Amino acid sequence: MWLPVLALIIGLVLGFLSEIRIPLEYSNYLSIAVLAALDTLFGGIRAHLQGNFEDKVFISGFFFNILLAAALAYLGVHLGIDLYLAAIFAFGVRLFNNIAVIRRLVISKWSDSRKKS
Amino acid sequence: MNRKRRAVFSGVACVLGLMLAVQFQTTNNPVTRDTRDTWELRADLEKEKQRQQDLNNEIKKYQALLDNYEQSRKKEKIEAMQKALDDLKEEAGLTEMSGQGIVITIEPFNEGEMPKVYPELIRRLINELNRYDAKDISVDGQRIITTTPIREVNGETYINNQPISSFPIEIKVLSDDAQKLQNKIIASESAEDFVRENLFIDSKPENQLTLPAYDKPIRVKYMKQAKEEL
Repeated sequence: MWLPVLALIIGLVLGFLSEIRIPLEYSNYLSIAVLAALDTLFGGIRAHLQGNFEDKVFISGFFFNILLAAALAYLGVHLGIDLYLAAIFAFGVRLFNNIAVIRRLVISKWSDSRKKS
Repeated sequence: MNRKRRAVFSGVACVLGLMLAVQFQTTNNPVTRDTRDTWELRADLEKEKQRQQDLNNEIKKYQALLDNYEQSRKKEKIEAMQKALDDLKEEAGLTEMSGQGIVITIEPFNEGEMPKVYPELIRRLINELNRYDAKDISVDGQRIITTTPIREVNGETYINNQPISSFPIEIKVLSDDAQKLQNKIIASESAEDFVRENLFIDSKPENQLTLPAYDKPIRVKYMKQAKEEL
């Protein structure tokens, strides 16, 4: 359970230490990619708690969502439509949903374990 | 959680952390690349040197003024202040000025219908004159100062809130090198602009020109103490 959290912290530290910065024009794409990644991660946690987790789906979803979101943003820029809003909306709604489900699952697990004891 | 799953989660979390950190850094202190080449750097250096010199001169000037205040007796103190005030008034355009310069007259190009002198034309002409090192300018007897409004009110052009008179409109310009200024005006963009508006501008140098003073109160509305930019 703690290993992913540790990995997240390692990633953050690596990112801050490496001082990588991307040009401001591309920060939109990265922000949307971050959102997609967050969504996938929480989706994965939810699937894990519900017991229908699949590695392939998780990994492919992670990369595919990131690419799709960035591609959507890119297409939007070239068409003059703020298509990235669609991605933000979709991912945002799903993020909330996933977190809500995770919360319910955790609470029900917790109350179950209390009943047993 | 089995091993493989843990590894997958960790990998994804690590990538996410990396992306978050990069995004955070990018938004908080974005990349500002110095894209100046050697010549631009040189020019900038030159500019900074010039600024330093200007500042030094200014310091010297005020130091001298201060010395003057401190050393002299009371009467002379007042004189020194008076002189400083006069200098400032002269700079602001509140005094009559005379010297060599050119007189530009604006007239209709063709006989018949009277063309309109748009404020934009005069504004462009004044900008161009200033670009060619004009010292002081008056248009149609109105001295142009920093805050002079030139605008259209009800289809008429107003300068210093006075309607412009009928043709010929006289623009007096003081300059250190009248001949050069005249040559530049002949070949200027504004001259062509005036012709396009069916107006004709003619200029001739004069050895002795007198510009009227600005006689209205100067409204200082948005003035702030100047801050030295770093």
